Amino acid sequence: MHFSDLLSTASKSLQRNIAKSTLTMLGIVIGVGSVVLMSSVGASMEKVILSQISSLGSRSMVIFPGSEQEGGASQVFAGHDSLTFDDIERLEQLTTIESVAPIVFMSGPVKRGREESSAQILGAHPNFFSNQNMEAAEGRLLDIYDNDRAARFAVLGPDVKEELFGESDPLGKEITVGDSSFTVVGVAQALGSQFFQNADDRVYVPLSVARQATGQKYANYITMLATASFDVAFADVQGLLRDRHKIENPEDDPEKDDFIVHSSEQANAILSSVSLGLTMFITTVAAISLLVGGIGIMNIMLVTVTERTREIGLRKAIGARPRDILLQFLAESVALTLLGGIIGLVFGLVFAYLIAIIAQSFLSTYVFAVSVPSMVASVVMAALTGIVFGISPARKASLLDPVESLRYE
Amino acid sequence: MASLLSLKGLHKSYFNEEIETAVLHGIDLDIEKGEFIAIMGPSGSGKSTLMHILGFLDRPTTGTYHFLGEDTAGKNDDELAAIRATKVSFVFQAFHLLPRATVLENVLLPLLYHPGIAPADRENYAQKAIASVGLSDRATFFSSQLSGGQKQRVAIARALVTEPELIFADEPTGNLDSASGLQVMEVLEKLNQAGHTIILVTHERTTAEFADRIVHIKDGLIESDTRTHERRRAGADVKLK
Ligand SMILES: Nc1ncnc2c1ncn2[C@@H]1O[C@H](COP(=O)(O)OP(=O)(O)O)[C@@H](O)[C@H]1O
Ligand SMILES: [Mg+2]
Repeated sequence: MHFSDLLSTASKSLQRNIAKSTLTMLGIVIGVGSVVLMSSVGASMEKVILSQISSLGSRSMVIFPGSEQEGGASQVFAGHDSLTFDDIERLEQLTTIESVAPIVFMSGPVKRGREESSAQILGAHPNFFSNQNMEAAEGRLLDIYDNDRAARFAVLGPDVKEELFGESDPLGKEITVGDSSFTVVGVAQALGSQFFQNADDRVYVPLSVARQATGQKYANYITMLATASFDVAFADVQGLLRDRHKIENPEDDPEKDDFIVHSSEQANAILSSVSLGLTMFITTVAAISLLVGGIGIMNIMLVTVTERTREIGLRKAIGARPRDILLQFLAESVALTLLGGIIGLVFGLVFAYLIAIIAQSFLSTYVFAVSVPSMVASVVMAALTGIVFGISPARKASLLDPVESLRYE
Repeated sequence: MASLLSLKGLHKSYFNEEIETAVLHGIDLDIEKGEFIAIMGPSGSGKSTLMHILGFLDRPTTGTYHFLGEDTAGKNDDELAAIRATKVSFVFQAFHLLPRATVLENVLLPLLYHPGIAPADRENYAQKAIASVGLSDRATFFSSQLSGGQKQRVAIARALVTEPELIFADEPTGNLDSASGLQVMEVLEKLNQAGHTIILVTHERTTAEFADRIVHIKDGLIESDTRTHERRRAGADVKLK
């Protein structure tokens, strides 16, 4: 029997039993479909997070006040004033640190006439913009002269601009931040969400202005850029702050510190452990669904062999060898699982695409992404399932006695 | 005429859970190429059992079976399958057509297992076989759309398509009304006249009379072996309607 005969015989048999073939495939379709769907959503989320990390740059670091509690939750309230401007001066002197940008939050509504925005107000050191690789979409960002002069200038996040000005030109216009009036000098480029916070719903004012307004002697957080590698800078920053805050912490217990250093490299490490977890989860789901699907295939193939006993007897009578029958039924079960896998793949992709469309309305940086290795692996596994679970029914068919099979009612 | 097959002292017993059922008790039989032979006998006498052994679907318990001059003892399953694929064919009482396949697909089926006929030639062989049973206009019909007599003619075409040495027909008219039964027998008769060797198994006298030679079996033994008429295949005097 030629290989092409095997394929055409299998496909004809499946077509003749189309309803049953469809039902048989269902388990595999659902299994492969859900794996493709989940792996695509996983890949999309990974891209979302990666795009945030890369927008920050790999040398970028952030220091928050407070201590990291067990389980990773940060406790900002105790010691929220731990990052003093004296600390910041010393950080600036570290050779492993290229630039330091303290942030001081200001409160108070942001208004333009009767339009009001609930934007967050950041008193940002001009280094903040370069640390973040930010650029102006309109006008300009804040510079060191604005800071030195404590100029009442504001840069709007794109969402705030939209809220207060709509389509009209905001440059040179006045807005009210807290009690005082500011001139809009620029609009920041869209950042999307950063760590699931909207980074576009912000108003930036010079750090010096925010310090005057709040009288704060400490920063709410600090962004920094390491000169070279994060690792060395991290040790320096940690050593300096522990020294200045008189913290004995040789065992590096994050609960003892009163500051938390984050970096995009750490985020990368977290991301890869998350994606490893996701991969293991998807693999488990795939294994279970293929096992269930495979057992379904085996049952239906056993029933099929029984139902087609006379056909098997006839094929043997006209010269089919046991191996021809074995291969025929094996080809049928593999064709079923492979086809089921491909249909599942298509469904999975379609659903993942629909999810991407919906997700984009919540999370503008969400992109439709696929995991090619997961797709290939799940379809290959589906085909293998056909072999593993098809072999016993196929063997049973190949061993049937021709005379008894022909007599089977 | 050249000898096609030869049986000597053939015995067949079935063993079910240690219980032996002896069916054939020592059959001696020689058949030559071109013969049209009917094996007759009451139901349960062992006709089908004999045919299954002759057609390599089953093996004798003891005794020798020479086919085309060769001893068939010791052939393995694959070798027997190869003989069934190329040298012998069957027509069964119950037709055994694939119901959801067309006439052409049914007739093509044996060629899947025939190593000597190239895939490109299959359709020609099948159309020729279908034409020789007079069903060319039904080639694209599904077998479930045919009458019983037509189904059996498709089964004959399927038996013919590999151009075998020997065609077995086990009660080919058993499921048919007498008119279609007659038609089927006429097709077999015509095939014999064209040179095919046919072994017909039947318990009906009228059906057996199409053959040149009738072998009676009773209780697993040959009771009689008679030539009914002179070999017709060489004679041009017998005309078909
Ligand atoms: N697999 C089997 N096991 C036991 N006995 C069998 C088997 N096959 C056939 N027989 C017996 O062998 C005898 C002959 O059967 P068979 O050759 O089919 O008869 P026929 O075709 O002449 O009607 C019957 O008595 C039948 O019951
Ligand atoms: Mg019988």
